[in-house]
Amino acid sequence: MILRELALAVWISLKTSGLAALVASALAVPAALFLAGREFRGKRLILVINQTWMAAPTVVIGLLFYSLLSRSGPLGRFGLLYTQTAMTVGQVFLILPLIVGFSYTALRQVDRRARPTALTLGATPAQASRVVLREARFALLVAVLAGFARAVSEVGIAMMLGGNIRNVTRNITTSIALETAKGEFRNGVVLGVVLLVITLGINILVQAGFRGRDSD
Amino acid sequence: MSDALYRLESVAYRHAGRPEPSFRLALDALTVRPGEVLALVGPNGAGKTTLLTLLGFLARPASGRLEFLGGDPWADGERVVAARREAVLVTHHPYLFKGSVTANIAFGLRLRKLPDDEIGRRTREALSLVELDGWDGRPAARLSAGQAQRVALARALALRPKVLLLDEPTANLDAALGMRMEALLREIGPGQGTTVVFSTHNFSQASRLADDILYLSDGRRVEFSHENLFSGRAETDGKKSWIEPRPGRRIVFAGVRRGHVTCVIDPAAIRVTAAAGGPDAAGGANVFRGRVTRMETTDAATALVRVSGDLVLRAALPVRELEARGVSLSGEVLLRFEPEAVEIVGERPADGAKPA
Repeated sequence: MILRELALAVWISLKTSGLAALVASALAVPAALFLAGREFRGKRLILVINQTWMAAPTVVIGLLFYSLLSRSGPLGRFGLLYTQTAMTVGQVFLILPLIVGFSYTALRQVDRRARPTALTLGATPAQASRVVLREARFALLVAVLAGFARAVSEVGIAMMLGGNIRNVTRNITTSIALETAKGEFRNGVVLGVVLLVITLGINILVQAGFRGRDSD
Repeated sequence: MSDALYRLESVAYRHAGRPEPSFRLALDALTVRPGEVLALVGPNGAGKTTLLTLLGFLARPASGRLEFLGGDPWADGERVVAARREAVLVTHHPYLFKGSVTANIAFGLRLRKLPDDEIGRRTREALSLVELDGWDGRPAARLSAGQAQRVALARALALRPKVLLLDEPTANLDAALGMRMEALLREIGPGQGTTVVFSTHNFSQASRLADDILYLSDGRRVEFSHENLFSGRAETDGKKSWIEPRPGRRIVFAGVRRGHVTCVIDPAAIRVTAAAGGPDAAGGANVFRGRVTRMETTDAATALVRVSGDLVLRAALPVRELEARGVSLSGEVLLRFEPEAVEIVGERPADGAKPA
């Protein structure tokens, strides 16, 4: 396996999973803010569904989106199957409940007095929400990074929706699967190490975030 | 229109509980004028904090009319934000944002888009007012409760609001700081013309500082000026009745009552004697043990002692008898009063907790 191919697989992993983490966060954090800020009928059910969804196997999500995006499926005319977009969409769906769950916990741990304090000091409701998010910023960062780590390390969705097309949708995890299937264990191990380095980097970032919080 | 800052008519508010127990506030009428210092006095659960929350526009009345500066502050989103910017609430256990003391004080000033040099000046001024000069850079998370309360007050003062709403402003402060806080309230209230509404358990403090006192009990205005206010569900043996403000601590009174009762005990009707060690002599009705936590004179001849123990009670006795009865600050004392000394000032049916 040539170096260029390896670098491209790493890039595709970072790009699709990074984008998935961003899109999922943009949806999940406001949803968690909404859920954490009020009590209403059906909230418990939403949380239970979210928790169940968190445990959904990647291949099941891959299968679901495969049936939607395949040529005969309801979204087949968009021609998304075996594209990086399909991988990102599948990964968004995979990590959305995870980021909602982590963010919800993070926001529930923000002191209940934070929002009224911001309001009485003259904040608009939107500014008060930003204050609550800021008070939970490190825990929210952990939620987003955990989502990214989950997306970058999954193989089921990338394989089923990306199709493992060389230099197009082949990422680190599908490369490892392929190299191992071919008997090229050395390449598989190298890619595995790259994946571990990425997740290690994320953990270092998270730890740095916690240190920052402690110094407040 | 009118010269009133606040005008409340038939205002009712109720929160349904979870996590707090459900509660209902109902006020027939209240007017607060600019520059007035108004004290809200009442026991825990009387509705003082709820009323402050309504006056700070952090909760909306369920019914009735609340006017601020002659208009309806809840008319639209912009007006409520504008009203909040004129009436700042400092809570009993204030919340400080993560970050430095300066960041906390500057928070509201930044929202008002003041220039940086003005923010710096007001921050220093406000810290100086609460005697925390030079504390700018300290992390807010490492302050004691008393320091946090002073920073929260500075954070509100820096905004120079028309109204300062203070929930038990001296609760976390020691006696000396409490006195200085009272001096500060005099300075910003009557001194600078800021309207101050503050809550307290301490009638003496209210009468020292306030132009007007609103007595609250069970979410309603009550018309009396006593301390030693207690409420609870009454039980009876057919001859006399009692409430238990604390488990096992009964206040016994004459007559048969079965509803939710609010009562007061005149401080002058409470006899104070030194407990003098040994086995507790607290036999019989209305005998309580405690320690003197505060002593002051209301006039040259009368001493008012605050005793914390079985219950927090205030008793008045002649100054010249303090020594003879062995009553001193931090000393153990016994308090006694007759069931007839307990005055019932409010009574609701037993199911009165439900909204009327």
